[in-house]
Amino acid sequence: MIPDPFFTMGAAVLHAAGMLAMAPLLKTVIKKMKARLQNRYGPPLLQGYYDLAKLLRKEPVRSETASWVYVAGPRVYFAAAVAATTLVPVLFAWAPLEDAGGILLLVGTLALGRFALATAALDTGSPFGGMGASRDMTIAALAEPALMLGLFASALAAGTMNLGVLVRGLVEQGPAWHPSDLLAFAGLFVIVIAETGRIPVDNPATHLELTMIHEAMVLEYAGPDLALVEWASAVKELLYLTLLVNLFMPIGIATSGDAGAVLVALLAWTGKVLLLAIAVTVTESTNAKLRLFRVPELLSVSLGLAFLALAIRFL
Amino acid sequence: MTGLLAVAVPAALSIRLLAALAAALLARRPRICRWVALGGSVSASLLTAAAALTVITSRAPIEGLLFRHDASGMVFSYAITPLSAWFLVVLGLIAVPVAVYSVEYLAHAITSSRTAIVGAAFNVLLGSVEAVFVVDGVVAFLCAWEVMTLATTVLVAIEHEQRPSRQAAYLYLAMSHVGTGCLLAGFLILGSHAGSLAFPAMFAAPELPGPLRHVLFVLFFVGFGVKAGLIPLHVWLPEAHPAAPTNVSTLMSAVLITAGHYGLYRVCGFGLGVPDQNWALVLMFIGMLSAVLGVLYALAQTDLKRLLAYSTIENSGIVVLGLGAAMMARANGQLALASIAVAASLTHVLNHAVFKGLLFLSAGSVVMANGSRHIEGYGGLLRRMPWTGLSFVIGAMAISGLPLFNGFPSEWLTFQALLLGFTLTGGFVRLNFPVAAAALALTSALAAVCFVRAFGITFLALPRSPEAAGADESPRLMLASQAWLSVLCVALGLFPGVAVGALQGVMASLPGLEPMASVADGPLGITSGIGSFDRVVPAMLGVAMIGALGAAGLGLVRGAAVRRVRTWACGGELTAQAEYTATAFSKPLLMIFKAVYRPRREVDTLVEVSPYFPHEVRYSTEIEPTFERYVYGPLVKTVVRAATGMRVLQAGSLHTYLAYVLVLAVILLIWLGGTT
Repeated sequence: MIPDPFFTMGAAVLHAAGMLAMAPLLKTVIKKMKARLQNRYGPPLLQGYYDLAKLLRKEPVRSETASWVYVAGPRVYFAAAVAATTLVPVLFAWAPLEDAGGILLLVGTLALGRFALATAALDTGSPFGGMGASRDMTIAALAEPALMLGLFASALAAGTMNLGVLVRGLVEQGPAWHPSDLLAFAGLFVIVIAETGRIPVDNPATHLELTMIHEAMVLEYAGPDLALVEWASAVKELLYLTLLVNLFMPIGIATSGDAGAVLVALLAWTGKVLLLAIAVTVTESTNAKLRLFRVPELLSVSLGLAFLALAIRFL
Repeated sequence: MTGLLAVAVPAALSIRLLAALAAALLARRPRICRWVALGGSVSASLLTAAAALTVITSRAPIEGLLFRHDASGMVFSYAITPLSAWFLVVLGLIAVPVAVYSVEYLAHAITSSRTAIVGAAFNVLLGSVEAVFVVDGVVAFLCAWEVMTLATTVLVAIEHEQRPSRQAAYLYLAMSHVGTGCLLAGFLILGSHAGSLAFPAMFAAPELPGPLRHVLFVLFFVGFGVKAGLIPLHVWLPEAHPAAPTNVSTLMSAVLITAGHYGLYRVCGFGLGVPDQNWALVLMFIGMLSAVLGVLYALAQTDLKRLLAYSTIENSGIVVLGLGAAMMARANGQLALASIAVAASLTHVLNHAVFKGLLFLSAGSVVMANGSRHIEGYGGLLRRMPWTGLSFVIGAMAISGLPLFNGFPSEWLTFQALLLGFTLTGGFVRLNFPVAAAALALTSALAAVCFVRAFGITFLALPRSPEAAGADESPRLMLASQAWLSVLCVALGLFPGVAVGALQGVMASLPGLEPMASVADGPLGITSGIGSFDRVVPAMLGVAMIGALGAAGLGLVRGAAVRRVRTWACGGELTAQAEYTATAFSKPLLMIFKAVYRPRREVDTLVEVSPYFPHEVRYSTEIEPTFERYVYGPLVKTVVRAATGMRVLQAGSLHTYLAYVLVLAVILLIWLGGTT
């Protein structure tokens, strides 16, 4: 849209910084809402930032057996999550690096981060790392086809795989809410739950060896390394929710740079992400965690929904 | 220079023959023998690759004569068409580093008395594959095809003292000959229809009428499918690839299967007229099946080379899936779409050769250093073999289809072809495309699991055996080959436009393709070709990631020294026994896909005093070899039974045989007498 490389670069930096700044807040808000549902007060709203600040200040502690792979893991994971944000439109109907690629690059980038972290988890020799890596990769492998097919359903309806072009098309055409959107949304919501490690797939609040998945994978990390992992996971969660709201509820997205439109977009985005966060919280609070071997059934439901979405849209 | 390139093929083949002869003569002097055989191989590969590159850039085929026998009127001629040139370039890119690697590898891993035979067979094998790619007549093609099979068999059976090696070679020979038989039948039918045994005339002949056309397709598909390792014709591959010395396994996985792909392209895809839609469906289905089952079986392996062999089946499936999509598009008259699918599939031929070559060479270093192919005995090798570890992880990331590496562009293009196929074709048939896309997504995600496991268990954590603890890094020449392929993996990942741009000439040369749909977008990017459907520039993502990494680095620099502590092991001492094993790593997927694997496990608890204090626990697990047991088992049994039944005819008595001849002569006389 705007070919000036300096503008693109500046926009990408601001965009990524904004997502980095907002991500810990989302995590805390969900925690807080969950606590309220359980009649607890929950942490203060800024707890996410306090935690990160504390971890970043700590002394880096690493295992004796760990090699450079262990050090690279969180860094690649973080870089991939942050770079992925620049591919997705957030406030504007335009993503700063949308020229770099679309849906496939986004999925690939997140897979790159996961590959790095799962490999690093095997590096300390602790059985927990291997267990976590194995489970995390297993669930991701089953979730990826459903995620892709769900995104393809929207992309094929719009005739483009580029998220920027896709969102602009949606904004132009206005919300249609074709029944297939509903199915694709439901399918993708399940995937977002799985990919962000929430109940009923994974429990982010436990360190119990039998149930933990993502937490087992990063169990050995401490200090600044852990801060990077936590922060990147939060960014990923915010990214998934943003993707979902902008693909299926493209209301209020700014198409120009004037202050009024941006303000509206900011409010609309906050409101929509909050709505989805409430949905995530309610799902988490009202469900029990599934056995690991029941998760594939859930994911295949999601795959089926995405396939149905494609079928009823085009047949 | 141009003069030399015009005769590059005969020159290269002569160099290879001479090198093979010299190797055989120098059997007593292994050191010289290695240098002569492999030096000859490198120069021949460079020569053919250079000629192929000029064909690709100039788009003008190089033609010539290999051999002429005036008395019988037999003429063997060759033509480097752009399609052949593409496969020759892939061959050259892999054959050169493999030959360089072999110089040291043969010295360390092969008994010196066998250097000569390996060196000679190595040259014969490569020469025959080159001949397969360039000859343009049936007789020469089948000769080259057969020599290729025999040279490979020799190399697979090189450790013939071991029973598995002999069995693998026998299985390979049997399967290959079933394939060659199909090819022979197919070529004879096609040749008698076209009235010529020269490829250009045969493939330009009008289409055969009716069901015979489908019979031809099936014959050629089976014939070439065996070499391409497609499921269910794959059973030889996971036996033969690991049995050969690793440098040969590399050639087999990276180069030899492309001979099957070349045949599928030349004949099934673009030789039998406009393809039937059902052929395309067969290719897409078999491609999907091979991709998904290949990677699932790869996941369950604990033998590093077998794991890589199964992953070759997976990637062969992706190549064939692309070709199937191209044929489907052509059958529906979508020529621009067909060219995108061809671009996807041919790029994957190149990219697979590069990353699989890299993985096999690195695995060869690992196996050489450990003296074992068993992955559960490795561990912690990254400390002992840092460079091999680095090259293995680059190959692992490439094969998992991750951006910035070369697996990504070709999988990306395959997705484009499948998704555009969905939008552009009509009817129920189009639903095959999203199914294939979902299967491809599953395949690449499972490949990531498989290679996290392969790299992590091999190179990270603590060594699980004394051999792993004392492993040594490979010699420099081997590392140089690995480094060259690693660089190629990254370069082809960051500059996908270069490879795809070079394909333009190949696509222009294939009949019935619309070369207008250009998928290259400068050296850095690729596009979907049709409209503004999609476009990707991996290097931009790379810059973004480096930016993010830099920002994180700035935030983290505080000068605090890293404290090293022991890994917490629940209060005990962390030993290699406590580590997660490869078997455990893939266990969840084994359970989830138990319908495919049908795993069997046995747990024996040995007790001395009380059942609560086991003295020893033995655990063994095995997945069911479905195809071997349920497809090939009954087949082999039937064939053997039929052969036993026919033994009645072969009584061993000369008089009976003479009677057969007499009876046959009488029947023939009656039959022929009736016709005139």
